[in-house]
Amino acid sequence: MNILACPRLRSAACTALAAFLSCAAPSRAQSAPTVSSGAPAFREVTDEVGRNVRVPQPVRRIVSLAPSLTETIYALGLQDRLVGDTDYCDYPPDAEKKAKVGGAINPSLERIVALHPDLVLVTKSLNRTETVRALAELGISSYATDPHTVDEIITSSEKLAGVLGVPEAGAAIASDMQHRLADLQQRIAPLPPKRVLFVVWTQPLISVGKDTFIADALRQAGAVSIVDSEQSWPQVSLEEVARLQPEFLVFAASHAETTPPTVEVLATFPGWRILDAVSNRRYAVISEAVNRPAPRIVTAIEDLARQLHPDAFVEKPENGRQKLEKENPAGNQQLSSHDYLSPRDPQLDGKTSGGGACAR
Amino acid sequence: MRPLTLHRLLLQCLLLLVILFFVVILALKFGAVPVSLYALGRDLLRVLFGQSSGISSDYGLIIVNIRLPRILLGIIVGASLSVAGTSFQALLRNPLADPYVLGVSSGAALGAILALIAEPHLTISPVFAALLTPLGAFLGAAATITAVYFLGRRQGQIDSSTLLLGGVITASFLSAIIMFLMNTLTGNLRGLAYWLMGDLSTSPQKSVYWFLGIGFLAATGAIYTTAGDLNLLLAGEKEAMHLGVDVPRVRLVVYIAASLLTGLAVSVSGAIGYVGLIVPHAMRLLFGSDHRTLLPTAALGGAIAVVFADTLARTVVAPAELAVGAVTAIAGAPLFIYLLRRRMA
Repeated sequence: MNILACPRLRSAACTALAAFLSCAAPSRAQSAPTVSSGAPAFREVTDEVGRNVRVPQPVRRIVSLAPSLTETIYALGLQDRLVGDTDYCDYPPDAEKKAKVGGAINPSLERIVALHPDLVLVTKSLNRTETVRALAELGISSYATDPHTVDEIITSSEKLAGVLGVPEAGAAIASDMQHRLADLQQRIAPLPPKRVLFVVWTQPLISVGKDTFIADALRQAGAVSIVDSEQSWPQVSLEEVARLQPEFLVFAASHAETTPPTVEVLATFPGWRILDAVSNRRYAVISEAVNRPAPRIVTAIEDLARQLHPDAFVEKPENGRQKLEKENPAGNQQLSSHDYLSPRDPQLDGKTSGGGACAR
Repeated sequence: MRPLTLHRLLLQCLLLLVILFFVVILALKFGAVPVSLYALGRDLLRVLFGQSSGISSDYGLIIVNIRLPRILLGIIVGASLSVAGTSFQALLRNPLADPYVLGVSSGAALGAILALIAEPHLTISPVFAALLTPLGAFLGAAATITAVYFLGRRQGQIDSSTLLLGGVITASFLSAIIMFLMNTLTGNLRGLAYWLMGDLSTSPQKSVYWFLGIGFLAATGAIYTTAGDLNLLLAGEKEAMHLGVDVPRVRLVVYIAASLLTGLAVSVSGAIGYVGLIVPHAMRLLFGSDHRTLLPTAALGGAIAVVFADTLARTVVAPAELAVGAVTAIAGAPLFIYLLRRRMA
């Protein structure tokens, strides 16, 4: 990385961020098209880190540098315009067939250039500012998202839809996500939130900080993280976890790499046995969609809420899955059926979810 | 030591320049996107004749705006690290000295990070702000080499193994501080972590190239004026003093210039290790240890090594990229062990 250029960029980003924050709400920062005099070849929008971005009109060729952005593009039904994505863009499975430009942190600028993108999509929490600056020097427009809460994921997806010229699809996704979350809130609002530890990594133990969208997703699912850290990915001491004794451990299944350890395996890790959640088998596994700030996160939130608050879903069965849960005795037995989410499971969820439905 | 002739020096440099030319062609040709030699030649000729605006293909954009600046950066960084390594080896009379092994690169990295942290709190003009990071890197490098120099002294003489140990310990101490800073501060840490490993993937703005180039020429020039003295210093500080060398002055000039070279290189590319170790050794084997030829040949050799290593870094896991520091460490660390064993035998 070239840190010589950093101060200039960063101060610019800070000023811009301040301007962005001074807007009352993120939704107020909606793209304001300023069609340049004469040629409507591009329009200028302000992205979520406050940069003014010249977006060619219409946007025909998109390169995505984050799995979440790739998912959002598919959810918006714009997959035909996606000409390249990263090695980690594996959802939906069709995204794996797109031309690959490398990883999110170290993409190949050459590959990106060769794909002739009208617009490159980046997200602040994953991509490097150096990549964005290098793209700018090559004359390639890039648009950055930066959602920190589930609500911001919704507004961010909607705003991105506007930038890409499909505001209707964006509005549909947003209202679907909002309705499903509101429905969920109705069910679980009366119940006290469960105190959970979201496990990003077991050795060393890494969890999520309070300002991440994952912590917010936990809140939406009727859970509260016991970790109260300013850092995004804090390393947590097992002693502290044992002192706070979370009611549940929450894992995200990753179908790309290893599945999360089972309770039996966890109990063999040094020290983990002292956690009540391990000895009581209080353990929830949800799809890795929870790690991606994309529309599919709502599915992960619903799934987690079902596992943490099974009682809230028992009374009025509406579909087969919930009926199944009703037939099962609530409690530990039912929970352990979630110990292994098969790798295909998240994808099935996605197909039945609004995120997938909007693609059509 | 054979007498130096201008003829021989030019011949050696010419040989290395030819190798550098071919490595540059290789680096221009290979990358994540395949480029034909014909397209490469056509686009290069257009650049030479000042018609870069005529290049319309994205191959042209890739070659001229992505690969060429990166190669140029590799040349400057490689030459700087190699000259710094050569100077440290002469001054410390230790063939295993290298900015990375001695902790000087870590010191420069810490200085650069501290400058990055301090920058938003200072009210300075943007021009000076851009120079703050290399300045921090230079001060970090200078402070570290001073500390390591005093750590390595025993009874007024530099003790070789104490010096190396002092350097290794200093490097690990500084790395720990960097880790601490990165864990406590929020911000673009992912970028920093990648940069720390040694990375050429993002080229700086044009003005920085001028700054790097001028800094490199000035520092290398300053070191070259002491080349004869460095030859005498190989016999020992006291011996050199008896032969009329102004040792404190040479030491001051070379330490400052070598710290500047290390600081400049680290501020744009992070800690690329072992270049300053391997290249001077290879050049000594090829052309002898006369610093009047060793310094320029080491500069060219360093450029060749880093451009070649970076080409590997760009291509082996394409389209993703390795950090070039990983490539140089994989090649350099075993060589370091070999040299260490041979010295002890």
